[in-house]
Amino acid sequence: MLGSLRRSHATRITAVGIVGAALLAACGGTGSSSSSGPIASPPNLSGQTLTIGDLAPFTGPDAQLGPIFLAGCYAATREINAAGGPFGAKFDCKSFDTRGDPADAVPATRQMLASTPNLVAVVGATSDEAATVVPILNASKMVVFAVTGQSEFDKNTFPYFYRLNPSDAAEAQALIAYAHFEQHATRVALAFGNDIGSQTFVQPAIDAIKRAGMTLASNVTLDLNATSFRTEAATIIQSKPDVIISEAFGPAAASFLSELKQENGKMLPVNLTSVDPTLYQGIAGAIGAADVSQYLIGASPKTYNSGPAYELFKTQLLASASQLTGIDKFLHFHGTPRMYDGIILSALAMLMANSQKPGDYLPFIKKIANGASGATVVTSYTDGVAALKAGKTIQYLGASGPIDFNQYNNSSAPYEVDHFDATGNLQIIQTIPPEQVAKVAGT
Amino acid sequence: MSVFIASLGFALVSSAVLAVAGVGFTLQFGVTDVMNLAYGAVLILGAYVTYVLSQHGVNVWLGLVAAGVVGAVISVAINSYILTPFLKRKTSHIGMVIVTLAVGLVIANVLLAFAGPNGVALNADQGATLRWGDIDLTVLQVEIIGLSIVLMIGIALMLTYTRLGKAMRATAANPTLARNCGVRTSRVITLTWLISGGLCGVAGAVFAMNVGAFTPASAGTFLVVVLAASIVGGVGRPYGAMAGALLIGFSTEITAAILAPEYKYVVAFALLFIAMATRPQGLFVRSSA
Repeated sequence: MLGSLRRSHATRITAVGIVGAALLAACGGTGSSSSSGPIASPPNLSGQTLTIGDLAPFTGPDAQLGPIFLAGCYAATREINAAGGPFGAKFDCKSFDTRGDPADAVPATRQMLASTPNLVAVVGATSDEAATVVPILNASKMVVFAVTGQSEFDKNTFPYFYRLNPSDAAEAQALIAYAHFEQHATRVALAFGNDIGSQTFVQPAIDAIKRAGMTLASNVTLDLNATSFRTEAATIIQSKPDVIISEAFGPAAASFLSELKQENGKMLPVNLTSVDPTLYQGIAGAIGAADVSQYLIGASPKTYNSGPAYELFKTQLLASASQLTGIDKFLHFHGTPRMYDGIILSALAMLMANSQKPGDYLPFIKKIANGASGATVVTSYTDGVAALKAGKTIQYLGASGPIDFNQYNNSSAPYEVDHFDATGNLQIIQTIPPEQVAKVAGT
Repeated sequence: MSVFIASLGFALVSSAVLAVAGVGFTLQFGVTDVMNLAYGAVLILGAYVTYVLSQHGVNVWLGLVAAGVVGAVISVAINSYILTPFLKRKTSHIGMVIVTLAVGLVIANVLLAFAGPNGVALNADQGATLRWGDIDLTVLQVEIIGLSIVLMIGIALMLTYTRLGKAMRATAANPTLARNCGVRTSRVITLTWLISGGLCGVAGAVFAMNVGAFTPASAGTFLVVVLAASIVGGVGRPYGAMAGALLIGFSTEITAAILAPEYKYVVAFALLFIAMATRPQGLFVRSSA
């Protein structure tokens, strides 16, 4: 009896201890603070490693997306580590595979949060999984940088979420504006996938077509898991469009375009959203390099492929070749310098906050990106460190260009029209005038 | 142009590709009693074999033969070195399904490591476009249909008239009785893996010729469609798989034409549910009762 009482008492003590420890851990855990000013003194993190998580598809139909962000992470961490890292800590990058499927993304996110004690920021969260993982990351007070264009983030309410590019709606409107003002199209067909990331383009495109006074020739939804799209191609051809607005929806795009060309006897002009160089190999094989160059154009948020920040990004990216095979190709992906910028912003924000905890450095991200009047413009982490040490306020001008977060943590940019050259690299044709986009957007 | 009529032509091509894959899958399942979910990965491996050879200037039809050989060898190896040890340990049916699923994932991810995640395109010469009213097919598509018909007839003749075919049917019906009657069932099973693996590799090649572009991940959905065709027709029944391929191929394309493309698999799988509910033994299998 005595023994059982003692055991019971000991059990209670242990339980109280565990609850107390859990409460203490919760209070002092990563990102728990909600302060908007810097911590009094910087921590000493010498010998520690702070991890950037790349939460994105590395397998599955969108497996090409994860490495795009990983390349930016390698370049950014190389630069940060070369300058000593925040508070003496080193940065590293770790991949977490969502398989491009929300059902797989949720456990991947939870596993990342549970198994990565020094996780300080996340990059990735593509349109495939952002809707499911961003609420989890936000609830865990983890800063996330994304390039998803999903409209549900146009008025984002998650304070830890930062979008480094314009919305899909803006991209669809840019392509419609180009079709109307430059290609002089009157009949436009839409062909988008049946996933949430693709469908977000459709309604803004339909609205823009109406505002431009054009005719919606057909609107075909493609099952991206299908292996053949011949009937869909025949439906589009029958509607006699001048231009098809579609999406670079991974490998299915090559099948769709190939069958479109076969059924029509020749290629039709296709304006693609979400174009990146990974698309080239598949579609050039499917419809021929000459047709790719002649008939396909894409719209991308304008990236400034020059200037000191871009040159440094380029140097660091190419120096990271041993970490990722074929890393040089990511120079031509707009997502790579954007994620690079996000990570540099985080590291500089940590210095301003005197803390590596996301909850502490969060308020400084926007301050550094948008800049205040009289702020010293810096184009690298190293310059930022020096300016902060000199007691200056800073504004980071990134490798991807100026970053200006609005009240929804969205940074916009003008759109440019690209096409593939003979070597498969994207070349800029022109920047779409913002006033043309505004006309079809009704703004 | 009537999209509906045009879709009938596309359905023929889809059915032809599906039939080659479905018959290989169901033949192997019928004889060996192992639901092989690695089939899709081997199929895509066949597609890549054809692609890689074509990149080196090899004719796609020779590439198709090579894909068949690779599919056959890989399938026999999977059976001999992975599945047979599990079967000897009396692993349950569901255990074997998991083993084949794991083998498929290993193959797909090794392929992903070598081929990368980006799509590749098999640039096969499509030839001229042949038109019959609103139906238009390229010469290559007609050749794919022809190849499929030849293979189907060949399989039917083999099963009906050859000693191997009869031994396969006997093994499928009752392996113990077949063994007691002098049928060397282990040899029959090995030959079944060889033939079904060959069909799987060939299916991968015609799949690549038909769709043009593919990735290591392309196997996923296609395997589900192959399973659907096999189940609708009667699992383990090659003739049923042929009919199932036609049913699935036509239902998907006609749905895309007259309803909406996003419903094409909805209708196909609704048919599968109806078939399983009303004739669980398969639409084209006579009830034994």
